[in-house]
Amino acid sequence: MSRLGPVYTLAAGALLTVALGIASAQAAPAIEQATASPIDTSSEAEAAETATPDETPDEAPTEAPTESPAAEATEPPQEETPTPEDSAAPEAVDPTPKKVDYAGVVQGNGGLVAISIRDGKAVAYFCDGYIEAWLKGTAENNTVTLKGKDARITATLGGGKAEGRLQFKNKSWRFSAPVVKKPSGLYRATAQVRGARIVGGWIKLPSGQSVGRLALGSGGAGESAPAFDGGAVTWYGIQLQPQEPDAFIDTLNP
Amino acid sequence: MSHTHLTRHRSAVVLLLVPALVGGAISTALGVYGEFHPPTRFGISVAGFSGPLAMKAWLTTGAALLAIVQVLTAMAMWGRLPLDGAWVAPVHRWSGRIAFLLTVPVAFHCLYAVGARYDEPRVMIHSILGCLFYGVFATKMLSLPKRGLPGWTLPVLGGVLFTLLVGLWLTSSFWFFTTIGVVI
Repeated sequence: MSRLGPVYTLAAGALLTVALGIASAQAAPAIEQATASPIDTSSEAEAAETATPDETPDEAPTEAPTESPAAEATEPPQEETPTPEDSAAPEAVDPTPKKVDYAGVVQGNGGLVAISIRDGKAVAYFCDGYIEAWLKGTAENNTVTLKGKDARITATLGGGKAEGRLQFKNKSWRFSAPVVKKPSGLYRATAQVRGARIVGGWIKLPSGQSVGRLALGSGGAGESAPAFDGGAVTWYGIQLQPQEPDAFIDTLNP
Repeated sequence: MSHTHLTRHRSAVVLLLVPALVGGAISTALGVYGEFHPPTRFGISVAGFSGPLAMKAWLTTGAALLAIVQVLTAMAMWGRLPLDGAWVAPVHRWSGRIAFLLTVPVAFHCLYAVGARYDEPRVMIHSILGCLFYGVFATKMLSLPKRGLPGWTLPVLGGVLFTLLVGLWLTSSFWFFTTIGVVI
């Protein structure tokens, strides 16, 4: 036996690791770019995405011309909601929309976030394909607060968008998510297999951009989902039927 | 006599010091990396599998099967099995090398794309065994060329490696196959 044989074995393993690292690093920017690509099919969405949240007044005026309709809409307490769905009835006492869905890009992360509100209840999902969080909370006085495992969202509703902050583990990102209409928005599918629960989550934007993840069990095992069109999904032969928030907002337990 | 024997024994154990330290450093480094490295986008997939979970489950299964070959050929080399021939040692070496290389993409995905986690028993055990595995493997590889090691060195290290790999297989591939099904 060559005395160096075992060393060569270790070196081969190290080389393979380095090769995988280089290949992954080269593949990563392409994925990130695709995920973070701006939403250019909807001018409203674009304006909202680039808009600075209200808490930073110094930058707000420069952004104002590009989003003047949205900016004006934030002023009156009785919000004029841009979709037929959530114009249902803003109550006189609480201006929070009764039924509304928001979805947009998480700034600085490239992932997507979606928030859905139904009669004061709120659910949210954050996903960049690799990390994800389901959140549950309440919406009142045009403010939504949601909590999930290692995650927290606070956002202000108005002007046809939800603007706020997403905290995930020890990170924090801002987001501005415009109102979206079906088939865009948030989807969730669950299935019980032999010993574990499968939870699929997807967010679809009006631009066609989507992100999703399929999680297996509670230990963090899972895979990023392929491009999503809203229809049924088969994962390793398991049928998953993505549902809209109305179907799971009462039962979600993050 | 006994003094000489003891000295020789002690110097034999001392020979293990460097391999054991290197192995310990590797295990520690992997654990620290897994703990502090955030989950990252994984760009590599091995062709032929429908997803990274299936890829990992099958590569680990391949390594575990080769590990059985490892145990059998090692027993033959140590005269515990009535197998003889010039093929035994090369089969042991090459099945070991291939098994090790099969585990590398798996561990790479685990550490680079997921990271070590301690919030579920299965995942915690898997994280710990995985970090230990490569440390013990490096210790064994660095021990192999050394002459005059205690006689128990290679059987113990090999046995530990086999145990760790079986533990890794049970906490990953076996879980995947029994949960999702035997899918490619």
